[in-house]
Amino acid sequence: MSEHVASGPPHVHHMDAKTAYSAAKLGMWLFLATEILLFGGLFAGFAIYRWQYLSEFAHASEHLNWKMGALNTAILIFSSYAVVLGVDAAQHGENKKVKKWMLVTLLCGCGFLVVKFFEYKSKYEHGLFPGTVDHITNIAFNSPEFNAQYKMFFGLYYCMTGLHALHVIIGMGIIFWIYLLAKKNRFSTDYYTPVEVGGLYWHLIDLIWIYLFPLLYLVG
Amino acid sequence: MFRYLPEQASEIAPKIDWINNLITDLSVFFTVAIVGVMIFFAIYYRKKDGVDHETPQIKGSHTLEWIWTVLPTLVCIYIAYYGVIYYQELRYVPDDAMVVNVVGQKWNWSFKYENGKETSNVVYVPVNRRVKFLMESKDVLHSFFIPAMRVKRDLVPGMYTYVSFTPVMTGEYHVFCTEYCGQDHYDMTAKLKVVSQAEYDEWVNYKEDLSAFTPVELGKKLYTGKGCNACHSLNGKKIIGPSFLKAYGREVELESGEKFKSDENYIKNSILAPNSQIVKGYPKNQMPAFEGQLDDTQIGNIIAFIKSLDGSQAIEEEVLPEKSDVDVTKLTPVERGKYIYQNKLCVTCHSLDGSKVIGPSFKGIYGREGELQDGTKYVVDDEYIKSSILKPMSQVVKGYPAAMPPYEGQLNDDDIAGVIEYMKTLK
Amino acid sequence: MAEGKNYLNHETTIWSWLTTVDHKRIGLMYLFTISCFFIAGGVAAILMRLELAKAGGDLVAPDVYNVLFTLHGAIMIFLFIVPGIPATLGNFLIPLMIGAKDVAFPKLNLLSYYIYLVGAIMALLAIIPVDWISAWLPEFLTNFLTWLGLSGPADTGWTFYAPYSLETGSSVIWMTGAAFVLGFSSILTGLNFIVTIHKLRAPGMSWDRLPVFIWASYATAVIQTLATPIVGISLLLLIMERVFGVGIFNPDLGGDPVLYQHFFWFYSHPVVYIMVLPAFGVVGEIIPVFSRKPLFGYKAICYATLAIAVFGFIVWAHHMFTSGLSNASAFYFSLATFTVAVPTAVKVFNWVSTMYKGSISFDTPMLYAMGFVFLFMVAGTTGIYLATLAVDVFYHDTYFVVAHFHYTIQGGAVIGLIAGLHFWFPKITGKMYNEVAGKIGWVLVFFGFNLTFLPQFVLGMNGMPRRYYDYPPEFEWLHTLSTIGALINGIGYSFALLNMLYAFIWGKKIAPRNPYKSLSLEWDTQSPPIHENFEETPTVTDYPYAYGVPVKEAV
Repeated sequence: MSEHVASGPPHVHHMDAKTAYSAAKLGMWLFLATEILLFGGLFAGFAIYRWQYLSEFAHASEHLNWKMGALNTAILIFSSYAVVLGVDAAQHGENKKVKKWMLVTLLCGCGFLVVKFFEYKSKYEHGLFPGTVDHITNIAFNSPEFNAQYKMFFGLYYCMTGLHALHVIIGMGIIFWIYLLAKKNRFSTDYYTPVEVGGLYWHLIDLIWIYLFPLLYLVG
Repeated sequence: MFRYLPEQASEIAPKIDWINNLITDLSVFFTVAIVGVMIFFAIYYRKKDGVDHETPQIKGSHTLEWIWTVLPTLVCIYIAYYGVIYYQELRYVPDDAMVVNVVGQKWNWSFKYENGKETSNVVYVPVNRRVKFLMESKDVLHSFFIPAMRVKRDLVPGMYTYVSFTPVMTGEYHVFCTEYCGQDHYDMTAKLKVVSQAEYDEWVNYKEDLSAFTPVELGKKLYTGKGCNACHSLNGKKIIGPSFLKAYGREVELESGEKFKSDENYIKNSILAPNSQIVKGYPKNQMPAFEGQLDDTQIGNIIAFIKSLDGSQAIEEEVLPEKSDVDVTKLTPVERGKYIYQNKLCVTCHSLDGSKVIGPSFKGIYGREGELQDGTKYVVDDEYIKSSILKPMSQVVKGYPAAMPPYEGQLNDDDIAGVIEYMKTLK
Repeated sequence: MAEGKNYLNHETTIWSWLTTVDHKRIGLMYLFTISCFFIAGGVAAILMRLELAKAGGDLVAPDVYNVLFTLHGAIMIFLFIVPGIPATLGNFLIPLMIGAKDVAFPKLNLLSYYIYLVGAIMALLAIIPVDWISAWLPEFLTNFLTWLGLSGPADTGWTFYAPYSLETGSSVIWMTGAAFVLGFSSILTGLNFIVTIHKLRAPGMSWDRLPVFIWASYATAVIQTLATPIVGISLLLLIMERVFGVGIFNPDLGGDPVLYQHFFWFYSHPVVYIMVLPAFGVVGEIIPVFSRKPLFGYKAICYATLAIAVFGFIVWAHHMFTSGLSNASAFYFSLATFTVAVPTAVKVFNWVSTMYKGSISFDTPMLYAMGFVFLFMVAGTTGIYLATLAVDVFYHDTYFVVAHFHYTIQGGAVIGLIAGLHFWFPKITGKMYNEVAGKIGWVLVFFGFNLTFLPQFVLGMNGMPRRYYDYPPEFEWLHTLSTIGALINGIGYSFALLNMLYAFIWGKKIAPRNPYKSLSLEWDTQSPPIHENFEETPTVTDYPYAYGVPVKEAV
């Protein structure tokens, strides 16, 4: 949504630059609130069933690779740091630095997705996949130990991390767009709204992962 | 004012109606008062002759705001309090309550009493005795609602729920499903019959008095009650399975070629696990396994019944399902068709949900096109249905066994017209 | 039309409409689109009522009936009344009333409109009865539609309750997907309005000078922004459930269908206030103008608006008193529900008091506003029955609930929308509609509406369950009455809408700047407004209800 606040006055100069900046920030904070509520529904659902099926969820969680999760956590935290540096650079009007840090953030995002891809792939190969998995023969789901609650754990795992990964992809789109703006030298000490609100969005993505990681990987 | 609630047939009904009527009175009073004042203002202070008159700039009044905040609050608390109290009473179940197990399944209610007796779509309870309906759903959400008793509760698959009440009036009352559950939600209704304790005892124990029957008689009841008669005749005729006439001691040859005389063990095994010993010339996978559905005594009774069919007595005509008190001529054609579907055992082989049991499903059957076993094409129309019912073997659909008994002489033209109308509704 | 340029004629190409970021034009585009869906939902309603007019099945088959009430509910809720007042009058009026040139994020506003359209198209796809018409379709088309996951029209009711929604035809995925997308559009609109009201008020327009319509829109926007994500995620989970079999709402897999209801009503109860709060705002604007009196208890009304928005979030499970709630939570939700009744009552008292010693004229908007007060009294007091635990057990899922709901949403939100459309018609179009025709429309709507739904209260009291295709014969005469009412109601709406449409296109009578001598800002520009809204940014010195001659002891 930040595109719309940032690309300057649209059809009339209907607000001054200062109002536009504070409006964009308020808008983004509200949007972040809706995002948190969106994930909040998933967290609530997870909490309820985690409580109800304590040991099943704990066992299912052991099938996740916490090392990969930890690696991704580190990548995202570093990317947030890069964004902070990018925002700082934008506030000083240093477009070149903005470009650099946005590129670093993009690389982090790619790295995150690559790690995620390998995690999903390995889960899929082990048959840890929700839904109708009859076509996979060597699946653990067929063993009596893997009852419906295991499926539910992995169902929630895929929903939560999948929705999060989708947000990473959208976030990368926004970061890339900021990169393009920086390339055109659009930022100055007077105008850096997109970097600031785009950065807020990226921090949220990071924050959600920081909650997802212990909840899914470390519950056991 | 405005008293439209159904008869007060349960102990709690007058209490709930009291609070309901109180709300009605207050609502009518406040609505009439407020709207009345509004209309009075509108007329009294109307703009006259198209010219605005001077108006005072009154912006509000703290006193009034306080009054009309506090007053409704107090009224609300009063009402809410009684709502909660009576709800508690509604949900309370004494230990000595009579329990009836209720199963909701699209689109039928079945009831099981403490002594094991079962009914469907009609439930009997004694008057002046607290009952608890313990409910479970086999598929989706349903809701069990008896307006006259003022009780309602959802049936949630995966958990037990209950309603509890004390009926105080004998009579017959509506039971509705009030949670939307698909196509025939509107038809998922039942009757609650509240009778005197004596009548109830007589009714509920009627079939239970096993000592009054010989094992042969009990076996015969099971023969019709469990639907054996759909496939096994008593007169030597082959329907789907072998006839029961002289079935005991008969020489049987299995698919494997194995030959032996049928005895108690063979019959018992054939009831519990039918597919393990199919007689040569009969289709496989047609008979459901009764493992877990019949106990040893019941199997013994069936065996006794089969043993009794040694040909010594006059060969009985086909035993049809027990007559019920339904007068089919008073039903609409569709209802009549549905009644026949359920009671003439069509239900055993023809599903309503599109699944293939033994015969083709009735779902969307009317107007269906396809190919018969002999390769000719057919369209399901009135004529086709009629001849399929009367002479099924003349036109068996490709891929289905020739398994249906002819109903010639058992159903009259009105019955068949009803079945056709019923089929038309099954889209 | 007034001399010179205005927002309607400064550009005239279709392209200029489709790509406009002008809040006034977007408001009109929404109005046009939701009117189409209002008609579609209305047709479904009329068909349903015709089927129910007599006992027995005579017009359609049971499964068609089930589809009809699903379509009626889903279209009216998600496509018509949720965007309803906020996206039409809200879009048009919020910047005008606070003296701004546009909303805070004009492009985002247009984006919400297109997201709404995408959602609408998805909903339309879910309506295609593929299973029923496949015999007449070319094979490739049938295959394509099946490949899309379409089977037949969704038949779950607008609530999509699991587990039925998990096992019925797959088109339900498209319908839930549509509701999800429409929710996203609603979030963006709400967010836009919140920021607009916070940041773009004209000089002097302090919070205690905001028109009550703005207060109502603000409260609505907060609910839109904060409640919609929850239904978004639950509908998303429902889709996941169907596609991947996750299991959290499916009892066969250890899930809990009641959890779905919690998620669903956490949004869908507040959404009722999304529909009706703006209507409160409209009525609050109309009554002072036609009474020539200040709005009685302005502050109390503003606080009541916020209170309803806040309380609306904590009462959701009163839709589930029979669903398997524990006694403790049932008690809590019953008591909490009563807290909504109080601020609602406060509003009604204040509206009526506004008319005291007024100089009251009976223009069409005022008639609708007064009708609204009556209808909402009925809606509110019947709400008391449903909040009362023991009584709700009886009424839950009967026609009583259906009638109560329609008094709230049709009698409240739709009547509010129609009142507002009449009231601001001169501003929006620059024309005047035919007053006599407007009044005839009002009589038909008001009479037809009450004839439709008063008998349904009686049906509910008799124990008639909702969503029934057929019913025991003793209910027949009430159903017949209700159907007659529905036909009159339908004629009334058509009459009122055609009257306005005719005046918009062919009307001769030009509207002055301020035909009602209203004091609020939107009348302080020409009719229709220029593209930039105001010739110069207005400065505000008082709240917009200072009608009449000052008296000393005013509060």
